[in-house]
Amino acid sequence: MAATQFVVNGLLVGALFAAVAVGFALIWGVVDIINLAHGEMVMLGGYTSYWVLKLGTGTAESSVLLFLASIPVAIGLLFVVGYLLQRTLVSRVIGTDVFLTLLVTFGASIAIQQLAIRAWTANPRSIQVRFAEQSMALGGIVVPKMKLIAFAGALALTVAMYVFLQKTRTGRAIRAVSQNPEAAALVGIDVEHTRAVTFGVSSAIAGGIGAFIAVILNIQPQMGLIYTLKSFIIVVFGGVGSIPGALIGGLLLGSVEELVSGFISSQWTLAVSFSLLIVLLVVKPKGLFGEGAEQ
Amino acid sequence: MSTTEEESDGALRSILPPKQVDWFINVCDHYGWALLLVGALVGASFPVLGLEGGYYMTVLTEMYLFAILALSWDIVGGQTGYPSFGNMAFFGIGAYATAILTKDFALAFPTAFLLAGLLAVSFAGLIGIIVLRLRGHYFAIATLGVLLVAQQVSRILDITGGSSGKILLETPTAETFYYLFLGLLVVEIGLVYYISGTRFGFVLNAIRDDEEKATAMGFNTTYYKTAAWMLAGLFTGFAGAAYSLFNTFIDPQTAYNGAWNVELIAMALLGGSGTVAGPVLGAFGLHTIIELVETYAVGWQLVLLGGAVIVTVIGFPNGVVGTLSEYASQMDYYKHGGMAATDTDDGAEVSADE
Amino acid sequence: MSKATSSPATDASGDRAVLRTDGVTKRFGGLTAVDDVDIEIHRGEIVGLIGPNGAGKSTLFNCITGTLTPDEGRVYLQGEDVTDWPEHKIARAGLGRMFQETRIFGDMTVRKNLLLAAQEGGADVSSLMRRPDSSLLARTDELLDYVDLGGLAETRAGRMSFGQQKLLEFAMELMSEPEILLMDEPAGGINPSMLGNLIEYIRNANEEQESTIFLIEHNMDFVMDIADRIYVLAHGERIANGTPEEIQNDQRVLDAYLGRE
Repeated sequence: MAATQFVVNGLLVGALFAAVAVGFALIWGVVDIINLAHGEMVMLGGYTSYWVLKLGTGTAESSVLLFLASIPVAIGLLFVVGYLLQRTLVSRVIGTDVFLTLLVTFGASIAIQQLAIRAWTANPRSIQVRFAEQSMALGGIVVPKMKLIAFAGALALTVAMYVFLQKTRTGRAIRAVSQNPEAAALVGIDVEHTRAVTFGVSSAIAGGIGAFIAVILNIQPQMGLIYTLKSFIIVVFGGVGSIPGALIGGLLLGSVEELVSGFISSQWTLAVSFSLLIVLLVVKPKGLFGEGAEQ
Repeated sequence: MSTTEEESDGALRSILPPKQVDWFINVCDHYGWALLLVGALVGASFPVLGLEGGYYMTVLTEMYLFAILALSWDIVGGQTGYPSFGNMAFFGIGAYATAILTKDFALAFPTAFLLAGLLAVSFAGLIGIIVLRLRGHYFAIATLGVLLVAQQVSRILDITGGSSGKILLETPTAETFYYLFLGLLVVEIGLVYYISGTRFGFVLNAIRDDEEKATAMGFNTTYYKTAAWMLAGLFTGFAGAAYSLFNTFIDPQTAYNGAWNVELIAMALLGGSGTVAGPVLGAFGLHTIIELVETYAVGWQLVLLGGAVIVTVIGFPNGVVGTLSEYASQMDYYKHGGMAATDTDDGAEVSADE
Repeated sequence: MSKATSSPATDASGDRAVLRTDGVTKRFGGLTAVDDVDIEIHRGEIVGLIGPNGAGKSTLFNCITGTLTPDEGRVYLQGEDVTDWPEHKIARAGLGRMFQETRIFGDMTVRKNLLLAAQEGGADVSSLMRRPDSSLLARTDELLDYVDLGGLAETRAGRMSFGQQKLLEFAMELMSEPEILLMDEPAGGINPSMLGNLIEYIRNANEEQESTIFLIEHNMDFVMDIADRIYVLAHGERIANGTPEEIQNDQRVLDAYLGRE
């Protein structure tokens, strides 16, 4: 029974990881860049939601509706941050050495993280959302209501992005740029703008998830790198460029982490999931759901 | 090449003629051993001339420390083309090893120091065999992950003192550390300089430029990569081994410092990665700047670091030494009738020679 | 051997051959890229390998060099079965390779490129830890003069023109003196006068040092001119083997090039 409970917890949290990873995968696939500042977008989104509530109501405790109302603010703001990050910094190193692109985003990650410490101190914070009953029991399994809402929110954001990519004009432009930037430019797509929008969209989703994380876990200026790393694990697991793969990867990672922390100790989750990643990279570098090895 | 670049190139040419740069680089190359000896003697003379333990000695010692770290990073990152984000893992292992061996096992510092180096090398060998199979994004993130996991493990274990770390009170004098770091640096520079003139050094460069071709030429690249990686691990481990006692305190955050890892990459890049002098000069330069910021604007040094990394990468990817030698080698190329930028010119020239 | 239109002028034991493949087959998914190919090359020969695009020429090369492992069949280098050896070990045993796209080490000086190619002292770390001796340095100067790159020894190789890089790559092979040299389209992308030089260098190496060369080529004039013998691949199968004259008059070869089955 304990195991089932852990898996349920893992799936609930895993959807959040997955949504963060989907954005990370989008940038990787479209711009061919590993954005090491991606986790910082989660952090900034969490703080946005926190400060909107705190400044709006004077307290970090809020009702569900009020909290949900703060999410669009986080999404909108982080879209702008992501867009500018690409336009001002990343665009300058696209097409150069992979290592330089990593270093620029790592530099951005450190700068954002340190500015956040200067602004908001290194202390963890969280948003309290009140319910009459905090959790409900389903067939012997306890499900915290807030986690269920976060789960639904993460799925909604992921699906929204999927639909955006498939159905809208901008989404089609993004896919065109990912397949062939030169050809996309020839048919009149503004490649630079499209890449910046890609950064914006993926940061926006990360920001929205950050708000949920501020409620169900907590937020702290240095939390970002772990989320970047988790996204990487998930994307490698699911295969670069596969949204369903990332979703499954996220749910799996969440379950593995909850099982490890339930049966061993929460301190070992990072070590265990990372060891799994290394094994996976060596055994099956294209991911479980990625396209097979080309030859 | 855009026209603006050529124009600025022209302006630069009149201030700093490539011929002289070429001459300067040749002299440095030719008298490398003499320069190293002079540098070592100058460094060693400071305490004799009256530099005492205190702020300035600490700053100089830290400069040597960073130069060791940057040069070690560059053996793999610059010379071999495997830029690691996890070198500080070796540093942390070295640091914890001496801390534990001297404090919990009451070993003398020299013994603990050597054992710590050995431990770091063994760890490097083990990890290297796995991560050096990866390239590009995968290699970078895997090494970063190794660093974070090592840090996490030191937070959990009892013997490392958990997240509160270990305080080390019985330590050698500041002067001892000054000479230890200086000595390590001089040995490392000498070794890297020597290697860069041997075919082992050429193989490392070949792996960076085209690993498949190096394999097709009969080199088992895994073997050389791992050797370079372990060499980097050895010196980084030694640096860490001395650092914990030098600092009198070690905790997961200082031992496995991800920001430092980026800092030493920035140093290597700034000075010129893939060269011997570059990482050392970069470390001296950047550490001076960071030290100044730390003095006059406490708490902003890491913000500055992030900014410095971005500026370096965007504006100066070849570093000071790299840019200069590339600039100087233009002369060399033109001097020997290598004008042929296109195949047509080239063919005409070759046939004219016959 | 049944597919041979004319068998090589040697006994069938094959162990005198520098390079021999025996029924090499390589499949990718459902596609058979190389199908049961036998090849035999003797000391001092220049042998061409031709065939339409997608015939499996490069795949066959990759199976020989150890970049790929054949699904079936064996590869023998000087009578020794090297099929399962790693690529670097096969190269060390005397197999040199020039890639289709010129590959030199662009950020290293021309001289270092050459020194790297020298086989003296083997490949273990301890022997590589010595500085190159003066006889080795003299040899690099000699070779650079030979291919008209004298004076460029200290230039960064990547700065040179494409043609010069090709000559450097060839000089590297002369430096390492392989038992057999595999060249993938040596004439590709270089201008006619440079091609003339290259032909001369290849001939000289072949005549003076008894170098054995196996080359893929699309330039028919070039390959007919230089090769002693030619193998033809189509759809992964060896459809012909013979002297340039025989190949030029072979109906199956003409059909293959014209796309008839």
